[in-house]
Amino acid sequence: MASMLMINADKCTGCHNCELACSMGHEGVFRPSATRVHVYTWEREGFSVPMMCQHCRDAPCITVCTPHALTRDPVTGWVNLDNGKCIGCKMCVQACPFGNAVWDEETVKILKCDNCGGDPACAKVCPTHALEWVDDVTATRARKRAFSEKFKHAFSE
Amino acid sequence: MDGWIGKVLRVNLSTDKVSTEALDPGLAKDYIGARGLGTKIMTDEVDPKVDPLSPENKLIFMPGPLTGTFAPSAGRYTVVTKGALTGAIASANSGGTWGPALKFAGYDAVIIEGAAPKPVYLWIKNAKVEIRDASHLWGKDVPETSDAIRAETDDDAKIACIGPAGENRVLFACIMNDLHRAAGRSGVGAVMGSKNLKAIAVVGTGAVTCADPKAFESAVVKARDKIHKHPVGGTGLRLYGTDVLTNILNQIGGYPTKNYQDGHFPTADKLGGETLAATLLQRPKGCFSCIISCGRVTKVTNPKYAGEGEGPEYETSWGFGGDCCIDDLDAVTKANYLCNEYGMDAISMAVTVACAMELYEMGLITKEDTGGIALEWGNAEAMVEVTRLTGIGEGFGKKLALGSYRLAESCGHPELSMTVKKQEIPAYDARAVQGIGLNFATANCGAAHVRGYTIAPEVLGNPVKVDKDTIEGKPALVILFQNLTAALDATGACLFTTFGIGADELAEMLGAVTGVGYTSEDFMKCGDRIWNLERQWNLNAGLTANDDTLPPRLLKEPIKTGASKGRLSRLPEMLPEYYELRGWDKNGVPTASKLGELGLTA
Amino acid sequence: MMVQYFALLRDVTGKKEEDWRQPEATLGDLLHALVAKYGRAFERWVLKDGDLWNLVIILVNGRDVRHLQRLATPLAPTDTVVIFPPVGGG
Repeated sequence: MASMLMINADKCTGCHNCELACSMGHEGVFRPSATRVHVYTWEREGFSVPMMCQHCRDAPCITVCTPHALTRDPVTGWVNLDNGKCIGCKMCVQACPFGNAVWDEETVKILKCDNCGGDPACAKVCPTHALEWVDDVTATRARKRAFSEKFKHAFSE
Repeated sequence: MDGWIGKVLRVNLSTDKVSTEALDPGLAKDYIGARGLGTKIMTDEVDPKVDPLSPENKLIFMPGPLTGTFAPSAGRYTVVTKGALTGAIASANSGGTWGPALKFAGYDAVIIEGAAPKPVYLWIKNAKVEIRDASHLWGKDVPETSDAIRAETDDDAKIACIGPAGENRVLFACIMNDLHRAAGRSGVGAVMGSKNLKAIAVVGTGAVTCADPKAFESAVVKARDKIHKHPVGGTGLRLYGTDVLTNILNQIGGYPTKNYQDGHFPTADKLGGETLAATLLQRPKGCFSCIISCGRVTKVTNPKYAGEGEGPEYETSWGFGGDCCIDDLDAVTKANYLCNEYGMDAISMAVTVACAMELYEMGLITKEDTGGIALEWGNAEAMVEVTRLTGIGEGFGKKLALGSYRLAESCGHPELSMTVKKQEIPAYDARAVQGIGLNFATANCGAAHVRGYTIAPEVLGNPVKVDKDTIEGKPALVILFQNLTAALDATGACLFTTFGIGADELAEMLGAVTGVGYTSEDFMKCGDRIWNLERQWNLNAGLTANDDTLPPRLLKEPIKTGASKGRLSRLPEMLPEYYELRGWDKNGVPTASKLGELGLTA
Repeated sequence: MMVQYFALLRDVTGKKEEDWRQPEATLGDLLHALVAKYGRAFERWVLKDGDLWNLVIILVNGRDVRHLQRLATPLAPTDTVVIFPPVGGG
């Protein structure tokens, strides 16, 4: 039973409140280029998706990190980044298949989601629950129910 | 500086000179930003008598101190200039994400001066500013332009641009950003076209800082909560969009129909927000830092009017709908997409079409003029076609491009143009709602609903309900809304935050982010100051009290059907009290004592 | 009397309008009867602490009841009552 940041992209309105909460919480300023959650918007279709570190069980970033700045937390299971140990080689940027390890040239460091220690600011601020901090096993329950209702409609004649 | 960046970018397209200067903290404090500070710059630097389409006019793009922060729904910017349509001060407000990008790039404003000899676009990446050739972009519509510019600059570039309409100086051409958001009214797009400026592309990797993060976050959390708990700001606008107003206005008999010949449209429900949500709506959309999400991502699959994009909003749905006696939402939405793609103000376009339909009915415009198009009431295909022609500058579209006032005047009937100061009146019948009529007549940019949205108290009941048909207390109410809105616009916040919060919350957030103490009284006084500065500009541009009026139809022709049947606007009874309460003389000129109170000079 | 529903109330009641045959002396009587029929889902958009919610727009023959007698507004069998929950603005 662990928690995860659930991405409900169909609910994302592209407001970037998550980015602002993240940069203010971690960097003390409003700076969307220094966030650990990034919203990608397709302008024509009006579809937006927030993306952040998925704290993979078999994390490629941990595998490639030679100074062990990236490690797995034995209690939470999250991928933790110790910027003090980081040598700035950017191998994690290369390794992450989702592109969620970000190099910030202004502060000269890697930015990666840390779940705000268990109370993610992005999920709290999201106006439409496009981001939710939920139990990982039951995370898709609402989505499953919504879709299974379509079967219910189809079969109840 | 905090909230503000502290730096203004100035680009002269005649000389290719690019420079920056410091933002004056005193002016920032008194005028806040965006609409307010932009108007102050225009006052200080531009002769109000200039031709709007001449190089002497300036074009200012300016967000506010809240823009780029997580103040709820506060990511806006204003384009301030002399309006091509009106000859009055223009301040067109837009959402999306462009305004914040300019702040993150490190600027409180971009001031465009002069005119380029050939088409150019501006490429801003933080401190790097380039004037680039845009001849290969000239003629492209808004989506094509945005794609092309991103391909040669940066995938993440935010783009504000004109379409062919601005290039061709359609007098109500607008500036589009984020593809679907418009700095809409008064022809700001034509001004940009006259400067041969196709677009401004921005990438910003910097920060907006906060003077007191704890106090700001606390104020923001409270404000968000109030908006979230408000049924309109928290739920209604996300579910139905602004188009939910269609049925409300129609049921109270204030839905202008057939170029304002009437105030009720029997099949309006087919155009309303409920119908939109059930048919064309894909999902809601929010601007930068928005928690309201009133934006409508839509798609029309009907092959006759196929397209996708955002909208229609209430004004657009009304204008191309009931005002033209059309109830086909697909067609109305298509016209809305065309306005976004070509860069035209949908309100002015639609009301100009309605005016043309009336002139056509009277035989003053014929099929010969329209190139064979039967511009009859209710003809949806014709409405879409003439909109398209206006966007691309062909055929009858060239006549419509002048706006309804000049069109009707050329036919000998200027009184059939439903405009104030030559700007088309939006979707609320002044005969059915008294206060909004006074606002239309006195708004400094020409007829505009958002300048003093008294529909909120007079029809909706927000924050309290006042009787729409009475005139007692309306001048004071209109002034209150106009002043509050002016100050609110200057912060970069969205007007829809007023479904939940007001001057107190805005002043608190503004004070915490900038570190400058604003009481609610200071805040409202800023609004009053901005309003009077705009008024002075207009008087110096040659406008007079005679321009504070409504078309004869609203003063003399009663509404024919519906819940407000028989009513007229009682503007002449309200205007003298309005001037008096504003601290102006009988000619609507601010008195010396009023100016002194606000720190302004004659 | 004809009762017309808009916005969310269309989803709650499942209709755009209905011909209400039962005689109701006042608006309050009508609303309580509608609450009895459609339940809490209807009530929460129309009433607050037992009184008319100030943001609800209810028109009787085109006139806003907030300027008539609110819940005490008398009704006749030929009246048209239009109910907008507080969702609109812009």
